[in-house]
Amino acid sequence: MQTVARYRPSPALPPIHHSPPARAAARPAVRATPAAMPVPGDIATVRAARRLNRAAGMIATSVLTDSAMEHYRGEFHNRAMWTPIVTAALSLAVSVHGHTDRRTGAHRGRDLVYAAAGLTGLIGTGFHLYNITKKPGGLCWQNLFYAAPIGAPAALSLSGLMGFLSERVRANRPGSSPIVCGFSAGRAVAALTSASLLGTVSEAGLLHFRGAYHNPFMVLPVSLPLVAAALLANAATGKSRVRRRLTRWWLRATALMGFGGVAFHAYGVSRSMGGWRNWRQNAFNGPPLPAPPSFSGLALAGLAALGLLEDHPDD
Amino acid sequence: MSSDPFEAPRASHGRAPDVFATGGWVPMRAYREQDEVDFAIVGTGAGGGTLAALLAEQGFSVVAFDAGPYFRPLEDFASDEAEQNKLYWTDKRVTDGANPIRMGGKNSGKAVGGSTVHYAMVSLRFRPEWFTSRSTLGYGADWPIPWQEMWHWYGEAEQQIGIAGPITYPWGPKRPRYPYRAHELNSAARLLARGCEAIGIGWTETPLATLSAPHGKSSPCMYRGFCRFGCSTNAKRSALTVWIPRALAAGAEVRDLAMVGRIETGPDGRASGVHYQREDAWRFQRARNVVVAGYAVETPRLLLNSANQRYPDGLANSSGLVGKNLMTQSNQAVWGRMEEEVRWNKGPPSLAITEHWNYDDNKDFFGGYCWMGQGPLPIEWAAVQTGSRGLWGEALRDAMLHYNHMIGVKMVGEMLPDEANRVTLSNDLDQYGLRVARITYTWGENDKALIQHALVQMGRSIEAIGATDMFRQEDDTNHLGGTARMGADPARSVVNADCRSWDIPNLWVCDGSVFPTVGGVNPSLTIQTIAMRTASRIGILARRGEL
Amino acid sequence: MTDPSAPRYPGYDVLAKRHTPSWNAITRKVIDHRLAVPREPRFFTPSEWTTADAVCQRIIPQPADRPPVPLAALLDAKLLANVGDGFREGDMPYMREAWRQGLAAIDAESAAQQGRVFAALDTAEQDALLGMMQRGELSGPYWNGMGAQNFFAQRILTDIPGLYYSHPTAWSEMGFGGPASPRGYMRMALGRRDPWEAAEAKPGSEARALRDNRHVV
Repeated sequence: MQTVARYRPSPALPPIHHSPPARAAARPAVRATPAAMPVPGDIATVRAARRLNRAAGMIATSVLTDSAMEHYRGEFHNRAMWTPIVTAALSLAVSVHGHTDRRTGAHRGRDLVYAAAGLTGLIGTGFHLYNITKKPGGLCWQNLFYAAPIGAPAALSLSGLMGFLSERVRANRPGSSPIVCGFSAGRAVAALTSASLLGTVSEAGLLHFRGAYHNPFMVLPVSLPLVAAALLANAATGKSRVRRRLTRWWLRATALMGFGGVAFHAYGVSRSMGGWRNWRQNAFNGPPLPAPPSFSGLALAGLAALGLLEDHPDD
Repeated sequence: MSSDPFEAPRASHGRAPDVFATGGWVPMRAYREQDEVDFAIVGTGAGGGTLAALLAEQGFSVVAFDAGPYFRPLEDFASDEAEQNKLYWTDKRVTDGANPIRMGGKNSGKAVGGSTVHYAMVSLRFRPEWFTSRSTLGYGADWPIPWQEMWHWYGEAEQQIGIAGPITYPWGPKRPRYPYRAHELNSAARLLARGCEAIGIGWTETPLATLSAPHGKSSPCMYRGFCRFGCSTNAKRSALTVWIPRALAAGAEVRDLAMVGRIETGPDGRASGVHYQREDAWRFQRARNVVVAGYAVETPRLLLNSANQRYPDGLANSSGLVGKNLMTQSNQAVWGRMEEEVRWNKGPPSLAITEHWNYDDNKDFFGGYCWMGQGPLPIEWAAVQTGSRGLWGEALRDAMLHYNHMIGVKMVGEMLPDEANRVTLSNDLDQYGLRVARITYTWGENDKALIQHALVQMGRSIEAIGATDMFRQEDDTNHLGGTARMGADPARSVVNADCRSWDIPNLWVCDGSVFPTVGGVNPSLTIQTIAMRTASRIGILARRGEL
Repeated sequence: MTDPSAPRYPGYDVLAKRHTPSWNAITRKVIDHRLAVPREPRFFTPSEWTTADAVCQRIIPQPADRPPVPLAALLDAKLLANVGDGFREGDMPYMREAWRQGLAAIDAESAAQQGRVFAALDTAEQDALLGMMQRGELSGPYWNGMGAQNFFAQRILTDIPGLYYSHPTAWSEMGFGGPASPRGYMRMALGRRDPWEAAEAKPGSEARALRDNRHVV
C-alpha cells in the first residue's frame, strides 16, 4: 500500500484551484468548519475522494441489501454467507465516514475496511464459482443463472476498489498533480471505473438474458453503461484539457438509470402473482431490487474521475 | 356473473370469460345456428384450440365446442388435488384388455383448453427419425409429413406458445433458441441430473410451457407445484391462456358446456354440421367444415357414434381404422428415499429430463423413452403407495411420512401401434344418452421389453446417488394417440397429412388421434405443431379453392 | 427418529396458513367445505355407513390424540356427488354401484366366515378379512362377478387413501406444504425449506422444529 505523509493544513497553502467556477460558487469553500479543527477549503482531491466514498457507499448499500436478501433466500446455510453482509455494512459505514471527512490524507481504518471488502469480494467470487462447479452441469447456463451468482461478490470488490481509490486520491498533496499508483489519478479512476462498468454490465446482461429481455427497458443497463464505459475509457486515455460534457451527462444518465432500475424492478415484483402482498416470495423470486444502484455508484466514480481530470489536467 | 362454471354456459350473449381477470369478460362474436360457419371445431384443447385461433385469424368463421366448462383460472382453480378433479373427463367409460388404461387426469381433460389446462407443460420435439419409423427404424408406421417440415412448425409453435427451455438442447438436430430461458431446477430435478451424470448419460432442463418471465397478461411461474391440477396464476401456457384468447380476438365463437354427440352428413355425403347438447337441449350448428379434436378416445367415439345409413361403420371409416391403433405411453417409475430433505412438490414436476434412450439405438427393442423428475402431491403419492406396493393401514401412513425425502424418476415411453388396441362403442350410455367408449388395451412384447429396460436404467440412476428403499411403479401409462391415424394411403389411414379425412373432404381430425406413432416424448407440442401446419394448409387449400 | 411415535412435524398445522397468500379465496372455500362435511350418511344406508366406517378405520387407522379425519363421511359425500374417475374396468360396476355391492359383499363374507357383520369383528379379524380380499382369496358368491380383489384395489385402496390425503390433518402429519396460491416457493435447492413450510424434527432438533412450525405462516 502506498505510504503518503498525512497532510496537515498549514497557513501557507497554495491557492486552491476551483473548477468549474459555477460549481465553486454553489458550494461554499468552507462549510460548517469546527473551530477546533481547521479544515481546508474545497480541495479538488478531497472533493473527488468524497465522491469516490459516495460511490463506494452506494455500491456497498446495493451489495449489503442484495447479499442479505439472497443469502436469506439461501437460509444462510453456510456461516460464511454472513461475511459479505458484515463487510458491506462496514464498507458503507466508512464510506459515510469518508463522505463527511473533508480532510486530506488517507485514513488507515477506511483503508483497512476497503481492502477487506475488496478481498472478501474476491474470495466470495471463488466461493460462488465453487458452488457453481459442484452442481450438476458445472459451468452451464442453468448454474450461471440460478446457482450462486458469479458476478455478485465482485460488486463488493468494486465497493472496496472505489474506496481504495478514494483514499489514494485523498492522499495526494493539494495542489500537486494527484497520482494513484503512479498514474494520473483522474485517468486511473476513469480506467478502473470503465472496467468496473463493463463487469457490472455483463452481470446485468446475464440476468436480463435469463429474463429473456421481456421488457424493452431491460436493454438499458446493457447499453447505457456500456457507452459510459467507452466514454470513460476515452477520457482515461484521451486529452485531459477538453470539457467532456457528453461523458458527464452520460454518467449522470447512468446514475439515474441505476435508481430507475429499482423502480422497474419494483414494478417487476408487482407483476408477479400476488404482487407486493406476496412480497415474501416475490421480492426474492422477482427481479432483485437492490442490484441496479451499483450502476449509480460506478457512475458517481466516473464523475469523480472527470472532476479529477478537469481539475488536474496532465497534458 | 355466473359463479359456477358448471351451472350454465359462460360463453354466451356476445361475451366470454376473460381468463386473465377475476370476474372479467371479453367480447365474443356470436354466430346463429342457421349460419353456415366455415368451421365447427369439436374440442378446444391442443388441437382444436390452436386451430380455432389460427383459422379465425385467417378470416374463417369458426365456432369451437367444448363439453367442459370455461374456467377463469384465477378464481376457479383451487390449490387442491381433490377439487381439481373437475378438470378431467370423468364421464362414464369402460376399459378392458390385459392392461386396461386408467382413464382420468393423465389422459383427458374436460374444459375449454382441454387437457392442456392440467398438462405438465412438457414441450418436446419428436426425434426426426420417428416420422419415418417404419422405413428408417423398422417399426410402427411412417408419418406423411417430412421431419424437416415438422421441425419448422415446432419452431413456430415454441415461439408462439412461449416455451422456456435450455440454451442448447443436447439431442437431435440444432434447434432455434427457446423464447424464454429454462426455469431454475428444483431439488428433484437436480437429483435427476446428478443421477444421469452418475451413470454417464446426458440430461437437460425440460422445455416447459410455463413462463420464466412475464408475457403480456401472464405472470411468471410461482413454483407452486400444482401444475397438473391447473395453474391458478396463468403462468402456464395452455390452450386456455394462449390460443383461446387469440381465437376470440380474431372473431371465433367458443361454446362451453356444449357436448357434440353426432356429426350430420348431407345428401352429398359431406358433413353438414354438428348436433350438440347445451343447456339440456339438443341443438344443431350448420358448418361448411367439421373438425374433430376430441383426443384419442372421444374423437373415434364421435366418429363411430355418427354412423348413419350412408356411413354405417361411422364417419371417415372406410379403412376400418377409426378407433384402431390406440396407443398410450408407458409411464413407469422408480422411487426412492434420500437422506436429505428434497421437498419435491416445489416447482413444476418435470424440470429436468434425459432423452438419452430416445436417441441411443443400442437396444434390443423398438422405440425409445425419456424420463423426468417427479413431484407427486399427496393423493397421487398415496395412490402410488397403494397401487404399486399395496400398502394400507399403519404401513401406508408410515410410508407417507417420508414424503419430503422422496425422489422419483418417471418415464414417458413409446408403445407400438397395434390394431387390437382400440376404442369401440360400449352399450353403456352416458349422461347425454350417448354410447360411451370402450377402451381395450394390451401391452405387446416390445412394450414390455422397453419398460423393463427403462426400469433398470432409471433404477441405476437413482441408486447411484444414494436413494434407499427403492421400489418400482410398474403399471402406469399416460398420454394417448393413434385412433384416426394420418397417412399417405387411404386404405391404411383415416386422414391425410393435412388432417383431412380421406372419405369426407370437409371432415377433419386434428388432435393426438392422428399420430401414426407416439414416440417417446409427451405429445402436446406435436399436437399443437400439427394444428399449426393444418391451419396453414387449410389457408393454402382455401386460396386454391380446394376446400 | 428417536421415538417412532413422536410426530415428524411437531406443531405444524397447515391450516395456520389459511389467511396467508398461500391460500386464495376458492381454496379457502373448498377446504372449508371439506372440513364441514356432514357426519351422517346421505348416500349410504345406515348399515352401509357402519361397514364403510369400519373399513375406513382399518385402511387408515388414526391416532387417538387428535380429531380423526371423518373418512366415512368424506366417502359418503364423494359418492353422493358421484365424483370419481368415471370409468369402470371390465366387469366392475361404476363407482357407486361398486361400493354398494362391495360393502354388502364384505358383510356377507364376514357373516359367512365369523357369523358377524364386518363392523362387529375385532380389528385383527377385520385386517385378516381385508388381507384376504387384497390377495384375491375371497371368491364367495356375493361379489357378483366384480371380484373381491378388484374391489379392494380399485375402490377401497383408491378412494379411501385418496380421501384421507385430501384432508389438511393428513397434510400436517406428513409435512406437506398444502395449498400454494398465489404464493408458491422461493427456495428450490436441495435441503432448503421455505419459511412457510413444515420443519422436520430430526434427532436433537425437535424443539427447534416445534418453534419453526409455530411460525409457519
